[in-house]
Amino acid sequence: MFLEIKKLRVKGDKREILKEINLKVKKGEIQALLGPNASGKSTLAQVILGNPKYKAIQGKIFFNGRDITKLSPEKRVKMGMALAWQSPPVIKGIKLSQLLKKISPQEIKIPDGQMLLEREINLDFSGGEKKISELLQILALKPKLVIFDEIDSGLDIKKLEMVAKIIKKELVDKNISVLLITHWGQILEFLKPNITNVILDGKIICQGKDFKKILRTIKKYGYEKCKKCPLLAG
Amino acid sequence: MKNVKNVHYWQVDHKIKRILTAEKVIVLTSPEAWKKFKWSRKWFERKPKEGYFVWVKKPINFPLAACITIASPKISQNLTNLLIIEKGIKTQANVVCNAAKSNLCGIHKAKGKIILKDSASLEYNHLHQWGKKDFVNPDYEFILGKDSRLIYTYKNLFPPENLLLKTTVQNNESSSSNLNFIINSINSKVGIIDKVNLFGQNSQAIIRLRLVGRKNSYIEAVSQVAASAISRGHLDCQGLLVDKTAKISLTPRLICQNKNAQLTHEASIGKISEEELNYLRMRGLTEEEAINLIVIGFLGSGESGIYNN
Repeated sequence: MFLEIKKLRVKGDKREILKEINLKVKKGEIQALLGPNASGKSTLAQVILGNPKYKAIQGKIFFNGRDITKLSPEKRVKMGMALAWQSPPVIKGIKLSQLLKKISPQEIKIPDGQMLLEREINLDFSGGEKKISELLQILALKPKLVIFDEIDSGLDIKKLEMVAKIIKKELVDKNISVLLITHWGQILEFLKPNITNVILDGKIICQGKDFKKILRTIKKYGYEKCKKCPLLAG
Repeated sequence: MKNVKNVHYWQVDHKIKRILTAEKVIVLTSPEAWKKFKWSRKWFERKPKEGYFVWVKKPINFPLAACITIASPKISQNLTNLLIIEKGIKTQANVVCNAAKSNLCGIHKAKGKIILKDSASLEYNHLHQWGKKDFVNPDYEFILGKDSRLIYTYKNLFPPENLLLKTTVQNNESSSSNLNFIINSINSKVGIIDKVNLFGQNSQAIIRLRLVGRKNSYIEAVSQVAASAISRGHLDCQGLLVDKTAKISLTPRLICQNKNAQLTHEASIGKISEEELNYLRMRGLTEEEAINLIVIGFLGSGESGIYNN
């Protein structure tokens, strides 16, 4: 197994955010993680990449056969993990091109990417520009597994299609594992995940191969009634 | 200074290594200027021992450059510098003061006067780079004539053990001054006193401080803008504490003696954002590399490789 999360429990400042998460991602596989607001999606992504803000109180994370539960974020990145942030912070005074040079000497080109290079990172970026900037950085990292945290939020349908095409061409077609975290699931239509998971209140409550069926169920019952859905049993 | 061939004044310890003078720009040592030009004495105030005299008489199409270095142990420099830009001339000056090694225990005192005559314009880049045991005390006064323009940037990324930096600007009618102090402090005590006097009608000034407090450092800055005529002034003082042993004290001071003058200030001291730090670490940078990049961005220098040593 490429990425394996075993019985992971994570505490935030006040409460337990993730409750016994189990997740397995194979090499070259696309998985989706669906969930409502505050269900623990972004926390899980940050924990997988080792954000020291969150403390794992139980469980382990393995990547490429190695226990990485206590590794620093930069070491995880060096091993081939990458995370595209949902709301990346502004880095004042530093141009995107400066950061890209630090990440990799190789120039990365994607549509709409060039015009962001000489701007300060994420300063006054539109929602779409932030996603392009994240994609540029992710591709520069040459990862083996990428987590996209709501890469489809705030994008119009044309931009969404463009982003999905880049992910397919640069990552999926190169056998790189992808975990798509999404609230509404728009991007799934373009990337067609092998497995789709649903997270609710810090627990993965559902997993299935047919993402369309899961999306239909969520649309019909809503996340709040997700526990009652017929897929949960099987 | 990368290419000394272009340096107009180059002093090492007390020795003059090079002086490049021309018809349009007179460059002398200050003691020589004291002897040669009697009129210069009113600016020097007292007889100088060492230092440079630069008089830009006619328009030039190259930047002025000066380099003053301490290269031997326990040298005590006591410089008196005078730079005069004649009416309507626009120019740039790049001045580097440094220690050749980090353990020379040198003293560098510089009292300078920079005169911009009416409608003159100067962009003055002042770069300091010192050793761990040096004492440095620059004391500069800028006198701005009517309609003149000054952009002064003092940058010190390698501070001495003790730095006392004094800067005074006198703004005449319709003149403008833009002062930038960029200081990265580590194992050092830094005192900054800068004062701008807006006594000319419609004069304006901006003072911008970017101060970084690293390990075992203390920065105390007092920034003052005083207005006695219809004028505008703004102070922008920001400090960034990188280490728990660092301390920064900022005192913005506005003195207004004219009801139509407009003086404003903003001041803040903060620490490095955890979110920014973790973001950069997730781009493969180590914690130290991420801090350095954030500091570079904060200081606005946008340069790389400055913290390699």
